Parts: sequence; structure tokens; C-alpha cells
Amino acid sequence: MKNISISKRNTWQERLNRFTRHGDIPWSLLIGAMAILTLVVVIAIAWMLWTQSADARAKIGWDFFRPTLDATWNPAKDIYQAWPFIYGTLITSLVAIVLAVPISLGIAVFLAELCPERLRLPLNWMIEMLAAIPSVVYGLWGIFVFLPAVVTPVGEFLSHLSVLPGFTGTLFTGPISEDGTSRLAAGLILTIMVIPTITAISRDVLLAIPNSQREAAMGLGSTRWEMIWQVLLPYGLSGILGAVILGLGRALGETMAVTMVMGNANEATGSLLKAGYTMASLLALQFKEAVTPLHTEAMIELGFTLFAITLILNLFARFLVWQVARRTPQEARA
Amino acid sequence: MSKFFRSFVFVAVAFSFLLAACGTSAVPTATEAMPATQAPAATSAPASAATPTPLAPGSVTLTGTGSTFQFPAEQAYAEFFPGVDPAVVINYTGTGSGAGKKAIIDGTVDFAGSDAVLNPDEITAGKDLQIYPFLAGATVIAYNLPSLDPKNDPKLILDGKTLADIYMGKITKWNDPAIAALNPKIASKLPAQPIFTVHRADGSGTTEIFTNALTAFSSDWTAGHGTVIDWPTDKAGTGKGGNGNPGVTAEIAKNQYSLGYVEYAYAVQNNLPFAQMVNKAGNVVTASPDSTKAAMTDFANAFTPQLTAVIVDAPGANSWPIAGYTYIIIHQTSMTDCVKAQKLVEYIHWILTNPAAVKYATDLGFIPLPNAVQQKVLDTLGKVTCSGQPVHW
Amino acid sequence: MTRFQQLIAVNEARRSRRRRVVNAAMLSLTGLLTLMALVPLFWIIGYVIYRGAPVLNVNFFTQLARPVGMHGGGVLFAIEGTVVLAVLACLFAIPPGVLAAFYAARNPNTPLGIALRFSTDVLAGVPSIVMGLFIYGLVVVPMKHFSGFAGGLALSILMLPTIIRTTEEMLKLVPHTLREGSLGLGAPEWKTNLSVAFPAAFDGIITGFLLAIARATGETAPLLFTALGNERFDIGAIIQGGIQAHQSLFSIIGRIVNQPIDSLPLTLWTYAMQPYQERIDQSWGVALVLMILVLLIEIAARLWIEARKRALQG
Repeated sequence: MKNISISKRNTWQERLNRFTRHGDIPWSLLIGAMAILTLVVVIAIAWMLWTQSADARAKIGWDFFRPTLDATWNPAKDIYQAWPFIYGTLITSLVAIVLAVPISLGIAVFLAELCPERLRLPLNWMIEMLAAIPSVVYGLWGIFVFLPAVVTPVGEFLSHLSVLPGFTGTLFTGPISEDGTSRLAAGLILTIMVIPTITAISRDVLLAIPNSQREAAMGLGSTRWEMIWQVLLPYGLSGILGAVILGLGRALGETMAVTMVMGNANEATGSLLKAGYTMASLLALQFKEAVTPLHTEAMIELGFTLFAITLILNLFARFLVWQVARRTPQEARA
Repeated sequence: MSKFFRSFVFVAVAFSFLLAACGTSAVPTATEAMPATQAPAATSAPASAATPTPLAPGSVTLTGTGSTFQFPAEQAYAEFFPGVDPAVVINYTGTGSGAGKKAIIDGTVDFAGSDAVLNPDEITAGKDLQIYPFLAGATVIAYNLPSLDPKNDPKLILDGKTLADIYMGKITKWNDPAIAALNPKIASKLPAQPIFTVHRADGSGTTEIFTNALTAFSSDWTAGHGTVIDWPTDKAGTGKGGNGNPGVTAEIAKNQYSLGYVEYAYAVQNNLPFAQMVNKAGNVVTASPDSTKAAMTDFANAFTPQLTAVIVDAPGANSWPIAGYTYIIIHQTSMTDCVKAQKLVEYIHWILTNPAAVKYATDLGFIPLPNAVQQKVLDTLGKVTCSGQPVHW
Repeated sequence: MTRFQQLIAVNEARRSRRRRVVNAAMLSLTGLLTLMALVPLFWIIGYVIYRGAPVLNVNFFTQLARPVGMHGGGVLFAIEGTVVLAVLACLFAIPPGVLAAFYAARNPNTPLGIALRFSTDVLAGVPSIVMGLFIYGLVVVPMKHFSGFAGGLALSILMLPTIIRTTEEMLKLVPHTLREGSLGLGAPEWKTNLSVAFPAAFDGIITGFLLAIARATGETAPLLFTALGNERFDIGAIIQGGIQAHQSLFSIIGRIVNQPIDSLPLTLWTYAMQPYQERIDQSWGVALVLMILVLLIEIAARLWIEARKRALQG
């Protein structure tokens, strides 16, 4: 009997099974390989952008990033200075963040703290639908509806502000063009586009705050608003900051809608009311057109810059969100 | 268990797709252009002979990209050429001349459309690239001046120097004396408004033609010429870029007091008023097929061995000063897929010579080649080879 | 009551009214902001329907584009292209994504697990246009032509982080008892994962797929340098031609994925920038179709989640 069972176990299938621990070793290798593949994709992106812009870095050097709006980007003469595009990306994202943060926080507070239970789900959905609308649809709606209806009048109003003391800077130098395509337009469209990102994360951050905090604040006699303003928001601050940075990341990388409403000019005043480029919109418009090798490389360097900025921002944001997530359960238990 | 099975089907199908894509890229001749079983028969026969076995409908895709200027014509060809040869699908996308040149140099397309000529670097990089002019077009200065009545008022008149000064940012208002002097009849209607200049945001042969013309017009034009340049008016905040001829036209249509350069065909189709120009001979001319043909005739003998010619600032009495050819670029000798090469040559021959094809293009506002030029182009087309074998239409 | 306490009480009364006013004002402001954020949503949806609906007809869904200046024509090429791209993206993203998620769920704290989470986060934040640059260099230049394959690959990288993250979260929600039961009965780990954990988490995972697909379907930027666009794309003709020439299924699929391809957002981008009124009208039609597609997938996914949550709670 014993002999028989041993001989059975020694069929090649059984041996294979034992050798692979019933398939678990190949399985571990397979899922490990896929995990490595994901890592490889990230490294490959960085590596490809870095190596393929080597010549541009060698030939152009730091002049590429020299912070002057009066910069030249002239493929006809092979001169590439990217600051106006970096500026365009930064200023439009800044406008978006400055406007979107208070709005998103208000919405997050409403959704997390005040909203009647019945409305919560549909409202959550609707806000998140804003993130689902494709970027080109924002652009289309932007150029034909939003810009003439909102941006042009707002821009005209802002251009009048520049005569007031304190507004004499170049940021509101007008006039805005009639169709409204401008850095301001891109900033406002981006505002709408980042609201869902910031809202969703800050709402989750607020919801993760333990009830003991709320009860303590209310118990001490604070109003609901005071509880929110003085307790919840400071408590979730780093998480909310993370949400803001993730929103910023989305704004920096947004391409199509911005390209459609930004006017596309290498403009030197830096005014919000003037046309401009962002890094992403320049890539969308000129990458396929690049003919001299240096032009291509300069553009890939721009891509690398964009990648690096969003990479750093995302890591920072994840770190902040992760910190909140790590801290909260412990204190909730305490 | 069935869900478990499903996930394996996913993986299996995914790999088959991967293999399919890799397989076809490795042997494009066999799988892409023709049925695998018939491939040996066709390749053994000389490519110039009529293909013995008819190809399956839609089995040869000729991919082209580039100039948005020739896009409407290519679109019409793509619609009608399969009626001539059902085996062929023409796929042309308008991405800009710069993109077209880059794509043909990189070998990512079968042919490129371009309004810009190849510069020496590109000829080196592309090795055996040959340019075929097949249509010409006029570039016009479209403007949006609400104070002018398009029906009753005469059209705006500009000369080369004034145009260059406007794009240099030296002339900034519509009522500038230089413009008023050229337009005595409507001088009182020129507003004291700033001039918005619109240009192409993407790389474009139209930009090349236009900047070539500005360079020829005025020694004050210092921004250079090419498919993408740095526009002086951008710096002042009065410049704006549009994506493609369509984008520029749209920008002009939407912004009062703006002006920009677009292809004649686009301006006509969109009912945009466009300016008359004072040409080199000193006459006021209107952009039209006739005045463009006059410019082409002026330069009929100016072709380089590569069949390119710059035809701006033409000297003839009635010649339109801002005109240019639009080209198809192909690899003259290094094509390896001979069925494709055959069909490509047939296609180019068709668009050059077929009366119906010529009519589609003229209906769209393009100007066909004068006979003398056409013969030169056909001579060169007859010299295309594939794997060392001559290819004939 | 001491004088001190009285003072506090008076102050308190004065302040409490101010506090109540501030409270009411700020709380209603948050509600107002929520309403404000919904304005663009309904504005966009409403306007897209208003402009897009009149364009939709049978031809719009069944014909290829016609040359400029000739009326009619449709966007069949873009609809087919969108489907092909979505299928390709799923095929490239789902198997590795799900398997990587198994790894992440099992080994969250190994160096590779941490590196995986790190790269998922990074991928989620990489601008989509950079994906396009990457695939252009990786696939288009070596293959020497633009293709649906390259487009699908670019979209798949975009989908990957969403798939990994949702799958991982869903797998973590599978009760330990279920897993342990299976392992205790002697099933190997891979079998437990695939036939117990995966089916148990299937609903949630599918939702993740759907959300990822919805986002990828609406993307344009990564397709600019990869899929390029193709107004003559016609699967019907390719299959018909292939059958007539007795081609294998394999080479027909190859032909479909191996040529430039269009998609709804790409078509929208090209059409919207054209000055021809008919093209602009059609671009609104494309926008409507795209929105219906994306929002339906999104809503379906969310309904699915809610239904499942309710089932679990009830």
C-alpha cells in the first residue's frame, strides 16, 4: 500500500506540482513580473525623455529655462528658450488653484458635513461627472460658449482695473481679444476641471476625521461653522493640501482644453488677458511639426520638465495624504 | 470558475493582438498589402506589369499626412480614387507641412503633403526623397473690419512693405497713414483700433510661403522665414496663433479688427473678405486662379532639380505676389513594398492628369499645374523605382 | 455672579449673535458653491444636447466622412476607432494591471510592493500628453508608422494606475475568512486568488475597469502622436476585403490595429478647429455621442457600486 501511494506521488505531474508548490511559484513570479513591469514603465518614460533630450540639454543648457518672458522660440533660427511656456503653465494653473480651492473646499464641507443624506449621493455623482467630461468637450464648449459669454466680459472688466492703483502690474494689461482666447480663459476652464479632483479628496479627508473631534468641538459650544473652520479644516490640513497639489498636478498637465482656448502666441507681457502657450499646448501643436532635430529634442526636454514637475508634486501630495491616512485611525482608536 | 476562465481568455486574446501587431510590422509586404497566399506570385512578377491577380478591395492603404492646405483636395481624392481602383484606400490626415516632412523622413507614412520645400538637412536625412508639385494656391490676407461694408466698399489694399510692417509690429493701428495712403477711398472708415495679427500656431508651409514673401517684400522683415517662426507681434501681445488654416480663419472670423494669412480656398469658402495687393509691377491685383497662374508662369523655368520653386513676389503685371506650390513627397527609390509603390505612383499620376481629379481640386479653389510644369513632374514620376525595378502607372 | 462673569456673559451674548450670523452665512455659502459648481455641468450637457441633437441621424452613425464642401457624411470611422482603441487599451492594461494588483494586495510592504505603489501614483499623475511622447518614441518611430496599436498602448498606460488601484482595494475588501477557507481546504494560493478572491471582488473590479475605460475614451492628447487619426477607417471594408482575399482572422486583426485610427475626441478636436459650419455642427454631434458614451459608462459603473454596497449592507 505504502509503495503504491509513493509511486503515485512520483508521477511527473506530482513532481511538477511539488516543485512549483502547486503552481504558487509561477504565480508569484507572474504577479511579481507584472508589478515590476509597472515600475519599468515609469522608469522607461523618464529614461526615454531624458536620453532623447540629451542633445538639447548639451546645446541649449540652462538658457532653456532662463526666466525671461521676452524669450525666443524660433525653429527657423534654432533658438529655444522655454520660459514663456513654463510661465504659461504655471500662471494658468495658479489661477485655477486660487479660484478652485475655496470653491472646492466649500463643496467638500457641504458634502461631508451639511448635505442632507438624500442629496449626498446624487451631488457627489454630479461633481464627479465634471471630471468625466472629456477635455475636448470642455474646449469646444469653451471656445463657442464660455469664452464669449464669460471670459470676454470678465477680461474687459479686469483690463479696466489696471488703471487703479495696486493693479498697475502687467497681469491685467488689456485689451482682451474679442473671442476671449487668453491665459485667463485657460485658467477659468482649468478651474472647472480641477474642482472635482480637489473636492473628492478633501471630502474624503473630512469624512475620515473621527467623530470625537466634532463632538468635542460642539461640546465646547462652538457653532457648526466654527467646528468646521477651527477644528476640522486644521485637522485635515495636510490632507487637503495634498488634494490641492493633486489638483495642481491635473491643471499642469491638462492639454486639449487649454490648447483650444489659450490663443497660442509667444507673448511677452505675461498678462492674463493675452494669448499664450502652456508647455502641454506647445507640445500638442508643435511636436508633430518639429523638423530640425534640435526642435524635437527641445520639445522632449519640455516634456521631461512637465514630467518632472508633476512627478515631484504628486509625490509630495501622496506623502501628505498618506500622513493623514496614517495618523487618523490611530487617533480615532485612542 | 467561468469568471476565472474569462480572465484567461483576456490574456490569450491580448497576446494574440500583440503578436498580430508585431507580425504585420515585421513583414508588411506579405500581410498588409496583399493576401499572404498570393504574395509570392505577385512579387516574382515584375512590378511594372499589370498585377495578375486583382487585389482585394481596400487591401492597400496609402497613408499620407501633412499640409492642411491640400487636405480638402486629398479628401476629395480619397473619396473618389477608390472608384477608380477599389483596392486602394487613401488615408490622408491634415497635420501641417512640418509634420508631413517629419513623418516621411521618419518613414511613418507612405507619402507626405507639404507646402514647404525640403531644406538641405532634410534632404540628407530623408536620403531619396522626391518632391512632386501637383497644385498651387494663393495665400491671401483675410481681415475682419466691421466698419467696412463688404458689398459696397472697395476691398482693402495692402502692399508688401506695409504688410511686413504690420507683422513686425511697426504699424499697429488700422488708421496708420501708410494704410490710409493705399486706401484713399475708404481712408475715413479705417478705425483707430489696434491691429490683431493672426498666424499659424502649428508648423506650416503656408507660414513658409508667407514669410518667404515678407522676406522678399521688405528688408525690414527680420524675423526670418520657415514653417514656424517667432512672431514679433506676439511679443507685443497683439499676435495670436490658430491651429491650421481653419484655426486661423476661425480666429479672424471671431475677432474684430484682426488680420491674418490664409489660403485662398479657405477664405473663399468662408466668405471672408481678403485684401488686394500691390504687386512687384506696381499693379493692384486680386487673388484668383488667373493671377496665381500668372505667377506660376512667371517662374515656370525656376524649378530646382528637386522640382521645387519659390513663386513669391512674381514680376508679371497681373501676378499675385504671395503664392506657392503644394507638394506630395515620396521616397523615390527606397520603397520596398512594390504593390504600395505601384499604387502610389498610379495615385499621383491620377491626380496630376485625370480631368475629373483636376476638376475636384479646381472646384475647391486650387490652381492646377500649367502644362509645361506638369510634363516636368510626370518625367520625374516615371523614374520611381521599387527594389531596383521601375514602377509605371 | 462676579463682575468678571457678567462681562463674559455680555460679551458672549453680543458675540454669539455674530457667531450665529457667520455660521448661517458660511454654511449657506457652501451650499451655494455646490450649486455654482453644478452650473457648468448642466450648461455643458444642455448646450451639447442643444447643438448636437439636431445633427444626429442615421447617416451620422453609419457613414464615413465626406470631403469638405460635400454635404452629409458621418463619423462611423471615429466610433469604430474609439471602440477598437478601448478594446486594445483594455487588453493591454487589464491583465498586467490585475496581476500587479494581486501582488500589491499580497505584499504591500515589501520593497517591490512599495515601489509598485510609488509607480502607480506617479503614472496616475503623468500628464497624458507625455504618455503620447513616450509611446511615439517607443512604438511609432521603431514601427515607422502611426497605428491603433500605438494609440491603444498609450491609453493603456493611462488606464493602468486606475485598474491597479481599484483592483487592489477591492481585493483587500474580500473577507479573510473566505481566503483562509479556501487555503485551509488545500487550494493553492493562485487558485484561491483566481477562483475565490477574484470572483468575490469581481463587481468592484469591473467598476474600476469601467471608470478607467470612461476616462480613456475621452482622452485626446495621448492619441495625437500615436493614433494620428484616419477619416477613411472602415472595419467593415477591411473585414470584407479580408474575407474576399481569404485572409486569416489573424491578418485581418493585424490590418485593423496596424493602421492609423481615429477616435471621437480626436475627430472632435479636428472638426472644432475647422471654419466650415457643417464640420462645426458635426463636432457638436461628436461631442454629444462622446458625452453619452462616457457618462453612460460612468453612471453604469457608479450604479453598480451602489447596488453592490446596498446588497452588502442589506
